[in-house]
Amino acid sequence: MHLHRLGRLLALVLPLLPLSAAGAEPLRVSAIPDESPTELLRKFEPLGKYLEAAVGRPVKFTPVTDYAATVEGLAAGKLDLVWYGGFTFVQARRRTGTAIPLVQREEDARFHSKIIVPAASKAQRLQDLKGATFAFGSVSSTSGHLMPRYFLLQNGLDPDKDFAKVAYSGAHDVTAKWVEAGKVDAGALNESIWQRLLDEKKIDPTKVRVLWTTPEFHDYSWTVRGDLDPKVVEQLRAAFLALDYANPEHRKILDLQRTKKFIPTAPGNYAAIEQAARAAGLLKD
Amino acid sequence: MRARRPPLPALLSWPGLALAAAVVVSYRIAGGDLGALLAPGARRAMADFARGFWPPAHSAAFLSSLARPLAETVAIALLGISLALALAAPLAFLAVSPRVLATPGDPPAAPRRTAWLAARVLLNLMRSVPELVWALVFVRAFGMGPLAGVLAIGVGYAGVLGKVMAEIFESAPRAPAAALSAAGAPPLGAFAFGVLPGSVPLLASYTLYRFDCALRASAVLGLVGAGGLGVQLELSLKMFAYDEVAAMVIALFVLVAGVDLLSQLVRRRIHRSRGLFPLGLGALRARALGLAIWALAAWGAARVLDLSWRDVLSPSALASVGGFAASLWPPDLDPAFLRQLAPAAVVTFAVSVLGTALGALFGLLLAYPAALRLHVLAGGGRPAFARGVTLAAVAWTARGILNLGRTLPELLWALVLIFAVGLGPFAGALALGVHTAGVLGRLYAEALEEVPTAPFAALREAGASDAAASALAVLPQAFPQLVAYTLYRWEVNIRASAVLGVVGAGGLGGLLHVSLSLFHHHRTLTLLLVIVLLVTAVDLLSGALRRRLVEGPSERAEEGPEPAVPAVVDAW
Repeated sequence: MHLHRLGRLLALVLPLLPLSAAGAEPLRVSAIPDESPTELLRKFEPLGKYLEAAVGRPVKFTPVTDYAATVEGLAAGKLDLVWYGGFTFVQARRRTGTAIPLVQREEDARFHSKIIVPAASKAQRLQDLKGATFAFGSVSSTSGHLMPRYFLLQNGLDPDKDFAKVAYSGAHDVTAKWVEAGKVDAGALNESIWQRLLDEKKIDPTKVRVLWTTPEFHDYSWTVRGDLDPKVVEQLRAAFLALDYANPEHRKILDLQRTKKFIPTAPGNYAAIEQAARAAGLLKD
Repeated sequence: MRARRPPLPALLSWPGLALAAAVVVSYRIAGGDLGALLAPGARRAMADFARGFWPPAHSAAFLSSLARPLAETVAIALLGISLALALAAPLAFLAVSPRVLATPGDPPAAPRRTAWLAARVLLNLMRSVPELVWALVFVRAFGMGPLAGVLAIGVGYAGVLGKVMAEIFESAPRAPAAALSAAGAPPLGAFAFGVLPGSVPLLASYTLYRFDCALRASAVLGLVGAGGLGVQLELSLKMFAYDEVAAMVIALFVLVAGVDLLSQLVRRRIHRSRGLFPLGLGALRARALGLAIWALAAWGAARVLDLSWRDVLSPSALASVGGFAASLWPPDLDPAFLRQLAPAAVVTFAVSVLGTALGALFGLLLAYPAALRLHVLAGGGRPAFARGVTLAAVAWTARGILNLGRTLPELLWALVLIFAVGLGPFAGALALGVHTAGVLGRLYAEALEEVPTAPFAALREAGASDAAASALAVLPQAFPQLVAYTLYRWEVNIRASAVLGVVGAGGLGGLLHVSLSLFHHHRTLTLLLVIVLLVTAVDLLSGALRRRLVEGPSERAEEGPEPAVPAVVDAW
């Protein structure tokens, strides 16, 4: 594939170019907008300060409203470090050929999605959803679209044929709201955000219930572009792995990231996602 | 220029019946269900929504955080329209009918005719793709941020501006240019000194009018990641922070109204200064001043957005855009995909028809109370003071409602209405209807106010009620103009309806959003082609209907897809 070759070529050539004042250049960070970007900004603030100290460069977080924009941003060299979902990582990897997944949260190695329905719904099993209206999150979302779609297909439900209407809400919390308000008969969202919505009482548990939980899969990762200075890449990886829940400073960061610790990850972890994307027709060559 | 054809026969002729049938069929296709608006669930959702709006967010921190996106929105509109002018001017020159600049008795050369055709086709192509679709595409090609917004407005509006400019040039008196050509001036010289000077005021006022439109457009481009207030709006809508949405809507409302007012003042000045000798010293000085202010503002806008030519024209930027363009080809013609496209195109068409019909209906209902003069007349000349105050209050309320419908773009209305009636094309059609009612209502009101008053007064004298007199003596006179405005708006609405799917309101926009999100570029190209075809078909159909329904089409009626164009041009 041409892009891979181009990416490799760039990876060879770019380090040779003089990087003027690389030390003063800010590290440009972004994240897929699976939650409201203001929430992302709030979550990132202490982590950003911590990373700033670790790499000795200013860190600049740019919130975006579009998943695909983060993929384009990394591919165009406009972003250095991005919080990706499994599927957006696969897209970024295919676009660049060189994007490196650094770390994931420990729960990202066995992630799940939930299929939710209004509490009053008659549906008791997945098959009862035939003919329903259904909401996914963003088109580009792993846990809000790709994996639920894949597992529905595995269970004999083709969203394009078996649902009366399929809609993309854009984000997990919006999907939950739609189901709660009865705007759709069912929806899919990521378990961690579902839990947060319940904990923060953003969703009334008497109005919505979980119909089904998907098998586990790999999700989110912090990923850098492949042509970033290897020294910086190592500093970033080490900084993430050094976060320790026993340390009160670190705990603040980890709590906001909703995890106890970060663990290393590798491109191979996302091969299953790539296969699922192919099977669900979301990836074409 | 107003045709005097009575309305009933026109509506009962085949185009009228076909339109009525189209509206009914569209209602079915779009899943129309006016009852859904009144269902308890919908009422509760709307009530929650309305409650959330009040009071608007007004903390100092939040309000000051709006300054930057608002400035960005204005800057994107300003730079976008400047770019549009720069692109449109040469194309418009080429798109002027070759006969206009030909030396009398000497037929235009073949290359000139080819250039004319090419320019026309290019302008139409730029015009057929909605600016939001341009934005979606440019966000992919250039990355997120205001640059995509500037380019989207620049390219999209260049199509309209170029077309209208060419028509203004064509309608300029031919004698001066012909005299210059006869005396041996080259075509460019004859154009620059024979055609251009007289056309400048009209061009300037039309450009200013377009700037107002660009400002509204720029406020939603953020919804697709192209910078400006739309980014903030989408975030707040998604977080259900309706108090913030309310504050932003008010800010946008004030901004748009302010710029509207300012541009009306300038346009009126331009109109007044339009003398017999357009190249007088005073006029020249005013033009130089105007240009200098514009240039300064554009420079400031570029600084605000932190944009430079290098973002577009550097080798790396060009390479990435070239790569994107190349990756689009060839279009995806997989039969399975094409089968998916047909129903989506039908839905998009149906939404545009239903939205326009709803807009025309509610626009007319609001236009009557908004047309203040009509009421004053209804009182029999001078109204009693108390009655006058009531009428003014009613008129201003109606105008306020129309302005609200107009200020918020369809996409935002769609985001709101999806909550009331659920996802799908009906929410899109309603959103289109609300916005269209705002636009058409204002134009209708102006048309109603301009109607000659003698027949109305005569009917009132004869003892007819207000309602009967308005229905029989006012509506028939304004009818052809109302129909023309409505059909123009339909041409705008097919463009809008092609993108409503981006927010979940069905049709081609939804597929486009999916294909762009998944980097299915060949499908994106197919979708772009289908949108261009559909829009062009509607333009042709609407033109044919207009000619059929509105007897004696004026040449002016061809000017641009925006309904306000004839109003702007006709006023002067």
